[in-house]
Amino acid sequence: MHTAVFYVAVLWMTVLLALSVVSVLRARSALTRILALDMTILILIALLVLYSDVNRVSYYLDAALALALLSVIATIAAARYHSEGKLFS
Amino acid sequence: MRPLALLTDALVLLGVLVMTVGVYGVFRMPDTYTKLHASSKAVFLGVIALVLASVGTREPTVIARGLLIAVFLLVTTPVAAHVIARAAYVRDEAMETPGAIDESGHELPGRPPTRDAD
Repeated sequence: MHTAVFYVAVLWMTVLLALSVVSVLRARSALTRILALDMTILILIALLVLYSDVNRVSYYLDAALALALLSVIATIAAARYHSEGKLFS
Repeated sequence: MRPLALLTDALVLLGVLVMTVGVYGVFRMPDTYTKLHASSKAVFLGVIALVLASVGTREPTVIARGLLIAVFLLVTTPVAAHVIARAAYVRDEAMETPGAIDESGHELPGRPPTRDAD
């Protein structure tokens, strides 16, 4: 990967991360907030994958995998608690 | 070597572009149901494009873990989107898209009442 492409991509995705945090703060309903948090973690995973592509080491991907695991559990738990009032029936 | 680097650049730029579309969609769409389209599909496809770009590193560990992340996200992103959409349906969130028609039988009589949304 060329260095210029890497810098452009990292800068742009940092802007995207900030925008998605803004969308978390500005969400009108709780479910929209859960959805925006899910999207924020997906962008964070993409940023870690990009770093791992450039540095050619896989340590960042371990962190990305842990984030993916945590995000799906957190999303399912929060959405189910919001709709049913309890986690598992 | 040369075409692989160009392919990596193209995939990274494509992924960033698709994720930009997803974030813009979350800002622009009116209600939860339509925001789910942008946040689960577009952003997920952007992550997949970035994971495919890791082929350009030619490191087996990076490619294997990238593939693991891609498969895991492919399994879990639809589940999370389904749970959010179901919660919105159960909590009676309104569809605010102009001209949207609820074809799910949501407002039919005989449906058990749900709690008020706060």
